[in-house]
Amino acid sequence: MVFQDTIKLAPQEKGATDITELISSIVQDAKIKTGTCQLFVHNSLSCLLINDTADESTKNQTADFLAQLAPSSDETTSIIDESMESIPEQMSAAITQSSVSFPVKNGKPLLGTWQGIYLWEKTSRPKHRKLTITIVGE
Amino acid sequence: MLHQQKLRFSTTGRGTYNVTKQITEVVENSGIKNGICHIFIQHTSASLILCENADPTVREDLNRYMARLVKDGDGIFKHKDEGPDDMAAHIRTILTQSSLSIPIHKGKCDLGLWQGVFLWEHRTNSHKRNIAVTIMGE
Repeated sequence: MVFQDTIKLAPQEKGATDITELISSIVQDAKIKTGTCQLFVHNSLSCLLINDTADESTKNQTADFLAQLAPSSDETTSIIDESMESIPEQMSAAITQSSVSFPVKNGKPLLGTWQGIYLWEKTSRPKHRKLTITIVGE
Repeated sequence: MLHQQKLRFSTTGRGTYNVTKQITEVVENSGIKNGICHIFIQHTSASLILCENADPTVREDLNRYMARLVKDGDGIFKHKDEGPDDMAAHIRTILTQSSLSIPIHKGKCDLGLWQGVFLWEHRTNSHKRNIAVTIMGE
């Protein structure tokens, strides 16, 4: 069986937003008991991360660290055009993920105790973000 | 056809552990001839990589490179309840992979000759690590 759905997330503040609950509810409604789930974000100015949920500061420090490696155009002067994706953000896209996948067991995401799914918005001029969720299994 | 199984590994501190044999055994015992093997680590301070398997100094270099890129106890870190390697371990995980997908051909993991699957422990202490293996195909 294959389940596929597309969701549109409202613009989020720059930084990481926990979407674990939203994704879990979609997985549970899909009625696939065992398999894998892939999440894909359809742009390069945001990305998906699986990160620690125990300490609120972890997600922000991860974002801060990645921003040091590849600063977003907010932190540099290299904005080419507001309507265009800048080079720094393309660099950042290369070292982060546009998709994450995880197993599904008993109709739920099989995540570790401290694992959560985050959408990381890289710019302070966010837009609606389109996500496709594909679950394959039985 | 679908097969899902959990594997448990003991680590003895920071470094890479070759888990190719254990993953290969799960694939071969599943009876699935063609498909995809999805591997997911249920932790946020240990990760998965595909890496060169012939010369162990490759992975020693990888460890040194990562230690230089993400410094334990970096002054920007606030999340350090479990020691200086705590936050660094979360970032190391983000920069590598929580899941890998490997094709299955003729009932075997179709890895390149020099490719191995490695669990990368990012904490300096020993830990028990769970990996969920989901195999889909026919």
